[in-house]
Amino acid sequence: MAAVEATFKEQAVLFGRHELVGIVTRPPPAQQTDEPAIVVLNTGIVHRVGHHRMYVSLSRELAKRGRTVVRFDFAGIGDSKPRHDSTSPLMASMTDIREVLDSLEKSHDVHSFILVGLCSGADHAVLYTHTDPRVVGLVLMDPTLPPTFRYYVHYVMQRLKNVRNWISLATGRSGLMRLVSAHLMNRVRPAPEVEGISLHNLRFSSYLPQCYRGAAARGVRMLAVMTSVSVRHTYKRQMLDAFPEASAGCQLRLEFFPESDHLFSGAEVRDRLRAVICDWLDTR
Amino acid sequence: MNPLFIGTTERRLFGLYEPAAASRGKPRAAVLCYPWGMEYIYAHRTMRQLAAKLAAAGFHTLRFDYFGTGDSSGESEQADLVGSNSDVGAAMEALRDIAGTPRVVLIGLRVGANIAVEVASQHESEVEALVLWDPIVSGEEYADSLANSEVSERVRRQIRALDLPSRLPSLPQRSMILVTQRLPSHDQLGLPVEFVTAACPWVEEITMSGALPVPAINRIEAWLR
Repeated sequence: MAAVEATFKEQAVLFGRHELVGIVTRPPPAQQTDEPAIVVLNTGIVHRVGHHRMYVSLSRELAKRGRTVVRFDFAGIGDSKPRHDSTSPLMASMTDIREVLDSLEKSHDVHSFILVGLCSGADHAVLYTHTDPRVVGLVLMDPTLPPTFRYYVHYVMQRLKNVRNWISLATGRSGLMRLVSAHLMNRVRPAPEVEGISLHNLRFSSYLPQCYRGAAARGVRMLAVMTSVSVRHTYKRQMLDAFPEASAGCQLRLEFFPESDHLFSGAEVRDRLRAVICDWLDTR
Repeated sequence: MNPLFIGTTERRLFGLYEPAAASRGKPRAAVLCYPWGMEYIYAHRTMRQLAAKLAAAGFHTLRFDYFGTGDSSGESEQADLVGSNSDVGAAMEALRDIAGTPRVVLIGLRVGANIAVEVASQHESEVEALVLWDPIVSGEEYADSLANSEVSERVRRQIRALDLPSRLPSLPQRSMILVTQRLPSHDQLGLPVEFVTAACPWVEEITMSGALPVPAINRIEAWLR
């Protein structure tokens, strides 16, 4: 055990004005590098440890490789106190990320960051990156993807296998109709600013492609990891079709985990995930 | 709220200490014992709310992650029941030092309740009261429910050996068994079991929808008052 502990140090920290609870995992001083710090975001309302403790093992593995890693809880999630103002949940999360990055910049002398998130965490990461040039990389696990033409084809083919869906279609209660109408409505609306959106409507928001375009234009490196069961995608290349700009210049690496569920259940799957992230970080 | 590490260099345990908001006479203190595995993940919000409620009621509270779980040191494979028992002992010692109380209340949820029973029998003079919240009555039954979980055979054996009815004679005089999920095995206990209609805090579909077992939290606070 002592040998393992010697390879990283962990410190409990309260970040920013809202005293967000977090853990900073660092390599010993001799092994510290000037590489960007890694900041891991909450998945939904699960606290910073993550499902199956996946963010603890990831943080420690990366710290052993010379990286400074932070996992923290947004206000009102996990151990962080809730806010008592009228800020929307999405804007509050954006502010929380900024406060953590500001704190790290001051206290740990790091000036660039890589954000890591699963599901809502991935969406928060993409949206935040659009607002802060200090973010130079993204690790996105099952992020929200807009439906593409091929998505709709897959969706319809799947749905038509079930008689019930035929009845829903005939009676006007089909989910497909709702999907398409939401899609079309957002096509004709002007692109909103981040203040005007929520994670709930992000899938159809024209702000999302804008964020990916902005990140790609800035040269932000991206690793996207897609599992088999996300309801948001139905085929492998959906991300490339949805955000063609993101793959330009080889800034986007796409990895598939067909054997994994959305929560990366299974030690072998998480081992592979850590290996993929480490390899991506090491690759220039 | 103060995040901190307690324990030894070899066994660093992450904890959150909440000082008593309003002292009502002698200071009192409570250590919260989490469940394990995914139950720990889903029950985390509830345990945080319980700690806040008790702190507001005048309890210094400490909740912490067992070795090999949560933010504590150690690999997940190193977590086991024997070690968790000693971790609760370390947490009690830390809280008694911080709060200046000779005795503490132990509150355990699910397998945390069974751990609390063991620790209470080993530290009799240091435990003021014990709250067992939906404890594991039969280890065999619980182990079966973990069939697809990432639990080592060693830990599975320890879990199978859990047998709450046989441990009841060693409970402190002031003990409460509170359940939100009635089981036929509760009839074997031979002790009064208090049923509270509330969400089961370790069940994913309930906790992820934002529901909190407020009546159960309130009942624990009222009983300890």
